[in-house]
Amino acid sequence: MTKYALVTGGSRGIGRAICIRLASMGYHVLINYHNTLQGAEQTLAAVRNAGSNGEMIRFDVTDRGAVDAVLNEWAANHPDAYIEVLVNNAGIRKDNLMLWMEPEEWDSVVNVSLNGFYNITRLLVKNMLIKRFGRIVNIVSLSGIKGMPGQTNYSASKAGVIAGTKALAQEVAKKGVTVNAVAPGFIKSDMTQDLDENELKKMIPCGRFGTAEEVAFLVGFLVSKEAGYITGEVISINGGIYT
Amino acid sequence: MDKIALIKLINENLAEEFEVDVDTITPEAHLMETLDLDSLDLVDMVVLIEQNFHFTPKAADFREIATFQDFYNFVESKMNEAQ
Repeated sequence: MTKYALVTGGSRGIGRAICIRLASMGYHVLINYHNTLQGAEQTLAAVRNAGSNGEMIRFDVTDRGAVDAVLNEWAANHPDAYIEVLVNNAGIRKDNLMLWMEPEEWDSVVNVSLNGFYNITRLLVKNMLIKRFGRIVNIVSLSGIKGMPGQTNYSASKAGVIAGTKALAQEVAKKGVTVNAVAPGFIKSDMTQDLDENELKKMIPCGRFGTAEEVAFLVGFLVSKEAGYITGEVISINGGIYT
Repeated sequence: MDKIALIKLINENLAEEFEVDVDTITPEAHLMETLDLDSLDLVDMVVLIEQNFHFTPKAADFREIATFQDFYNFVESKMNEAQ
């Protein structure tokens, strides 16, 4: 029987690597994207290369109406299936000091990370409970644990998701659904390409940025059946930066 | 206030706030390097400007400023705008 996984923000970076990892584990991957069709197509090709299949699924995670419409339509077209793995990965950065932070910079970052987590999860968790198996992994950040100057919007959003992870984990644990958060530090991706790696890696005990594939490996572990006793956790993957 | 007096006032304020010898401040010197500022120190810079020159710079303004001369010109133009 086909097993389904949904990855939000699956068209690039960490999201793409997670899609590929889940495909290698046999999942049919629903690759969510918003504006980056070409990236999503590349992810789909990589998913197929990994020996599984997938489909692209377009919606803006902040648009509650669109999320409802697309996911309800998918469910109607797949009456015997359910999405057993959800990876809430979509996120954006709009860094600024609080002193200069525009309302749009605050609202958009909170909307994608925190409201996006709610918009998708509330729809998918019900079937996980009914089927008595589900895996939810929220991609958060070192920024949401430690707080990073210049990122009050991003840190606050990710910290909100961390708290949501812990609360939801307790709500659904008895039904075989686990909810965990993965907190990457500095990972090579589109999102960190403007950072000075040579300077920043001096503060990382491992002496380098991580890779998206390393994050994806951790996500793959957390969604595995064998990881069923791990829930409500925030697992850092940051090369040894003390958190 | 004429420009010479303004420059003197700016230099004194910067030297005191960022704990550098006022003699290290020259028009051609690099502002951020000389004062050993990182992006977080811009908060202190904004407060200093607000208190002493009564306007609030934006983040983008600092991207245009390299040397102390740029900074003097920037403060002067903002003060002239306000008058």
